[in-house]
Amino acid sequence: MLEIRGLTISTGRRDLVRDLSLRLPDRGITALIGPSGCGKTSVLKWLAGILPGELRASGQVLLDGAPIRPPHAALGYQPQSDALFPWLTLAENAALGLTVAGLSRRAALARVTPLFAPFGLAGAEALFPAQVSGGMRQRAAFLRTITRDSRLVLLDEPFSALDAVTRLRMQDWLMDRLRAQPRGVLLVTHDLHEATRLADRILVMATGPGRILREIPITIPQDRRDEAAMAPLRETLKILLLEDPPR
Amino acid sequence: MLSRVLAPLALFATLLAGWEVYCRLSGVSALVLPAPSGVLGALILNRAEIGAHALATAGVATLGFSLSVGFALITSVLLHFLPRAERALMPVFAASQTVPLVALAPLMILWFGFGLLPKVLLVILVTFFPMLLSLLSGYRQTPQAFRDLLASMGAGRWAVFWRATLPSARASFLAGLRISATYAIVATIFAEYAGARRGLGIYILAAKNNFRADLVLAAVVVSALLTLTLLALLRLLDRLTARGPEVRRDA
Repeated sequence: MLEIRGLTISTGRRDLVRDLSLRLPDRGITALIGPSGCGKTSVLKWLAGILPGELRASGQVLLDGAPIRPPHAALGYQPQSDALFPWLTLAENAALGLTVAGLSRRAALARVTPLFAPFGLAGAEALFPAQVSGGMRQRAAFLRTITRDSRLVLLDEPFSALDAVTRLRMQDWLMDRLRAQPRGVLLVTHDLHEATRLADRILVMATGPGRILREIPITIPQDRRDEAAMAPLRETLKILLLEDPPR
Repeated sequence: MLSRVLAPLALFATLLAGWEVYCRLSGVSALVLPAPSGVLGALILNRAEIGAHALATAGVATLGFSLSVGFALITSVLLHFLPRAERALMPVFAASQTVPLVALAPLMILWFGFGLLPKVLLVILVTFFPMLLSLLSGYRQTPQAFRDLLASMGAGRWAVFWRATLPSARASFLAGLRISATYAIVATIFAEYAGARRGLGIYILAAKNNFRADLVLAAVVVSALLTLTLLALLRLLDRLTARGPEVRRDA
């Protein structure tokens, strides 16, 4: 269980996020949605330990009750772009977190290559990012995030750059992967379809300053979440988001 | 590939042919403007002498250029980690580029004698700055997402530099190398022109003083060949060290 307590992020002149607290279980997907500028990406970046230098943050992160300081090995972060290094093969990219942590190149590759087949990347180990499709790049990026043995995964709009069909496929694929390798996921997204399709819980943020407006658990099982079944929830979310005027 | 080589070759051949025809028809003295055939003849006749001088020039240029690459790399890393030093030093480096070679070359000889040192220093002075600039601009091209990703994995500043910043600067660095390589030969010849025992520069000076325009041009041809050889070597280095299906640039 990861817990954020009293997080305030400010530019020095105004607060982007004020006194935000939330809990993330070790299993399941929590979606963080909200209008642009509500600070959802800043929260994620703070957790990943990469908040831009000009922003100031105060608050606590607790992992199983013990305070930790990001960046932390228990938290895997995946940026908005897949951020695969063009000069590394997919296998080397997937192994990046392990080599940064001090594992030898050979040992790191030995750990990631068996995962290429279950991740739908069989035979692509030695290819470079420019040689594969957008979906494959996202899968390789997620493999890189997962192999670090992080208990929690921070995803910043991971599928926003993909076309609609690939996005749907990747969402199914992500659910599959999480069933095989369970992780707690904090998913920042602006796509209500994506949030209602994937999440077990939705946190709705409001702007000026950013705070959590509402927490909505989703109890409908994944296999029964068709468009019609989720439409009422999406309507509720829309109303919540529109109620909050941008400042 | 073939058409890319053929087009410039055809243009070059046309220019040479025009020059040759002009020399033959206009009756201009070979002392003033020798025909390409005359230049080639002089080059073949004096190949041993010109070759020895060219070798000296190539040696100085290679030594100076290699040292310059090393200095530029070290300086770029220091300035990357010390932005304040970068702000203070860049104007000085930029100003150093405004000193005319014609003024500096004789001074270097005056201060450091006729040996290797003044020539190597001049080559470094001329080639260092373009390389430093291309490295620093290459570092700045590193995508923020790459640095963020590594930082979120717990990588320190040096690890981020080594794994993301330096590889990101590769294309920019190679472009800077190519620009500096062309300057290296020219700078060496300038230094030799100001005073040397051997080298194409002093050879050109002597040929000019003897009214041998054909030998001056023969030496120019050889210096162009030296530069092209250096560029070809850089291109080879590019090919050998390339990782991934990168867009390769033409030297």
